[in-house]
Amino acid sequence: MSDHPSPKPGSSSSLSDGELLHAHEQAVADKTDDRGSYKLLPLVLLFTFSGLIFFGGTYLNLFSGHFDPRIFDERALPHTVDTSVKMDPVVYGKKLYESLCINCHQPTGLGVPGTFPPLAGSEWINGSEERIVRILENGLKGPITVKGMNFGTVPMPAVGAGGANWSDDKIAAVLTYVRQAFGNTSGPVTEEKVVEIHAKIGAHAEWSPEELLKLP
Amino acid sequence: MKNGLLLFVGIFASLALSWGGLALGSNAQLGGLAPYYDQLENRAFPERAPGIASRGKLVYQDLGCAACHTQEVRRPGYGSDTERKWGDRQSYARDYIHQERVLLGLSRVGPDLTNVGARLKSADDVYKLLYHGTATMPSFTFLFEERPAHAQPSPKAVAMNGDREIVPTPRAEVLAAYLLSLSAPADYPAEKAVNAIAPAKKEGEHK
Amino acid sequence: MTQVTSNALSESDTSSRWPLSLLLCAALKWLVLAGVLSVISTIQLHTPSFLADCSWLTHGRTQALQETIFIYGWAANVGFAVALWLLGRLGGAPLRGLGLLTAGTVFWNLGVAFGLVCIAMGEATGVPFLQMPAYVHPLLLVAYAAIATPGILAWTGRRQRATFATQWYAVAALFLFPWLYSAAQVMLLGAPVRGIGQAVVAVWFGQNLLSLWLIPIALAAAYYLVPKLTGRTIANYDFAPHGFWALLFFGAWTGTRQLVGGPVPAWIPTMGIVATLIVLFHYVIVALNLRGVLCGDKRDIALRFVSFGLVAYLIGGIFDAIFAFQTFAEVVQFTYFPMAQLKLALVGAYSFLILGAVYYLAPRITGLAWPSSGLIRMHFRLMVLGTLVTVVSLGMAGWTQGHALLDAKLSFAAIAASTRPWLLAATAGEAILLLGSLVLTVHFFLLQAAAGCSTFGSTAPAMEASAS
Ligand code: HEC
Repeated sequence: MSDHPSPKPGSSSSLSDGELLHAHEQAVADKTDDRGSYKLLPLVLLFTFSGLIFFGGTYLNLFSGHFDPRIFDERALPHTVDTSVKMDPVVYGKKLYESLCINCHQPTGLGVPGTFPPLAGSEWINGSEERIVRILENGLKGPITVKGMNFGTVPMPAVGAGGANWSDDKIAAVLTYVRQAFGNTSGPVTEEKVVEIHAKIGAHAEWSPEELLKLP
Repeated sequence: MKNGLLLFVGIFASLALSWGGLALGSNAQLGGLAPYYDQLENRAFPERAPGIASRGKLVYQDLGCAACHTQEVRRPGYGSDTERKWGDRQSYARDYIHQERVLLGLSRVGPDLTNVGARLKSADDVYKLLYHGTATMPSFTFLFEERPAHAQPSPKAVAMNGDREIVPTPRAEVLAAYLLSLSAPADYPAEKAVNAIAPAKKEGEHK
Repeated sequence: MTQVTSNALSESDTSSRWPLSLLLCAALKWLVLAGVLSVISTIQLHTPSFLADCSWLTHGRTQALQETIFIYGWAANVGFAVALWLLGRLGGAPLRGLGLLTAGTVFWNLGVAFGLVCIAMGEATGVPFLQMPAYVHPLLLVAYAAIATPGILAWTGRRQRATFATQWYAVAALFLFPWLYSAAQVMLLGAPVRGIGQAVVAVWFGQNLLSLWLIPIALAAAYYLVPKLTGRTIANYDFAPHGFWALLFFGAWTGTRQLVGGPVPAWIPTMGIVATLIVLFHYVIVALNLRGVLCGDKRDIALRFVSFGLVAYLIGGIFDAIFAFQTFAEVVQFTYFPMAQLKLALVGAYSFLILGAVYYLAPRITGLAWPSSGLIRMHFRLMVLGTLVTVVSLGMAGWTQGHALLDAKLSFAAIAASTRPWLLAATAGEAILLLGSLVLTVHFFLLQAAAGCSTFGSTAPAMEASAS
């Protein structure tokens, strides 16, 4: 660059626009005629740039949350992610019970003598899953004995596909709830079990108690 | 650089890349975000603001409240947002899906308003605040009007001026409705599952 | 290689005199108005009751107004004037399309004035840097097309195939603005993207308005003025392209750093932080290229403006990078600190660099020297003092406020009390800046008046317009 005429600042012969363009084009074109110190600079800049990129890349890798749209806290680890959120069937089941069953079987689960059978301590509820799942899926009609009392003046409506149209997970949840509420202590009814029984029965009208009692 | 076309293409590409990556990329990820349907409550969250509140939001927007108030809670441990009781959890993208204009806000000269609806008791509180202002917040007297008081002063009146009462204008009323409607739903299981785990690791402390 | 004669040059300067003077007059008018509103809105920060009863001047609106006036009034108009003048000079021919330019200028400024009235009346959009209502922006976009035409013509019709850094930066600014502006209009106001995506687009737009539009114009001016004023070619000029592309490709991603800790997926702010870091490479090259100006002749006023602007620009870049990191952002986010950073960028870097160009070009388009060197020195000192006081005190106010906010036990009244002294100082700084703008405006009108007289045959002292 030193070979380029460089008038002193303030002098009347400073760079014209044409010279400006020309001189700078020259500066890019011939890099060879410069001194040794000059050659170090590209290396230093390359080093700076790679350093920034490396640091930036590392930072991105650590704190990008793997570009996952659900990760807001950049320190969250993707492999701990479990978004298949399951609701507690007892909480959910209670909700469901209160939305429907409560009308007939009462908040206490004791039912109404002569009309609606009790669920508290019922041998049906605490008995075979095969039966109660069927009752809920398709309903129940016919005389029935629960805890030594007779019922059957009104039928039990279907809650599954033919009636309230509840899905299998809802049926599983409400049964799980009832089987541990009102003093009952039976185990949960899994969704898989309900699905399995549902598949076995296919389409069916209300069950009669005799039919159900034949089941295991 | 003698090639004008190359220069032009490069210039164009530089912005196009960032536009694609940030504007389109974020929209592709978040544009389809659905409300979370809570089976227990039998409601979807976040809920849509009632009409009167969305009119109030326009007042909030045109007075530039966002110059001094934010509407985003930062996560526990990052800033003092949760300690200041501005919210129990950080704000997520899902919180904003129903908002026609997102006003995150520029600064916190005043408190965050994400959950202000839960803190304010009634519209009267809002009127008093707006009419009198505080040491740190201007008053907005132009949102109120003076009118002759009847035998029974209006329950909305914030002050009396002789036998005249000062009552909120419709603009103040919708603004109050908006502020009272501001409250974020409890939490979303999907976001909570991923983000609630807060290992005590900070930037720079890794490895 | 055609050597451009000085005759052609002087012609290019005088023919564009009126349109460019019009842009500068408009710019200065807005600068003063922006100064007044900045003073008001800063007073309101420590004394909230100030003008609170006037709905037009409630703090939210003065804040939106001063920001809009500064960007779309002052920065845009003066940027247009400087960019066009530079492209004209380096194109080696008189600017063409001046009729369009004048019409565009008139409509741009009418549009801005209309937009401001709308904001004051309560039509603000609430989107930072895009506060004017949706129906004003298309008008500005059309006016912009007319204003940019002479620049594009000068670029495509340039006499030399070789191009200079000034031209890259100026052309980039001219092309990127409409691209950025229309994308933001559509995605934020026309057919807004859903939910939080708006916040992402808003910061992308706001940052790029600065990094890809205003700053390139200022750098175009700096790359032109430095060799002109020092009489030497740009040092290590062969790296200039790297600096240019680094700004464009990495600078475009830096905006989202502001969303750190916000309701957006973590990768979005992280990308912004990383880009803010990598863009430091651009600053290194700019420093390398333009360092000559710092040891130039300090008596030259344009050179002093450029020196200050360059230093402010470099410091601003480093500060942006440091305070992008979460550890610091946690403190300064949502405080006065980002305002200080913005002030440093808009006034310290942009205005200083562009004023260097204005001091250089005004005598060349009017053919007259600036009437008073005293006024120039006064303006420079007021600007330096005003900028330093405003930026430092806003920065300190923000730092204090940020730490106070972290302590959940401190009330907002206590925070306001602790920041008050700094905000009073910032108000003083804003007032000094306003005074500086007034001095410049008066001086510029004196120059125009003298030029007007000389046009009509008076004996005003003529300067050799073709000196360079
Ligand atoms: C419309 C009123 C009504 C509703 C609602 C109702 N039931 Fe019943 N339920 C009955 C009647 C009536 C019977 C007895 C039917 C019969 O004797 O044929 C019965 C019988 C039963 C039985 C078998 C007998 C027993 O007491 O163990 C079970 C189990 C049962 N219901 C569970 C439920 C559950 C769970 C729900 C909620 C999903 C529900 N019921 C909703 C009326 C109802």
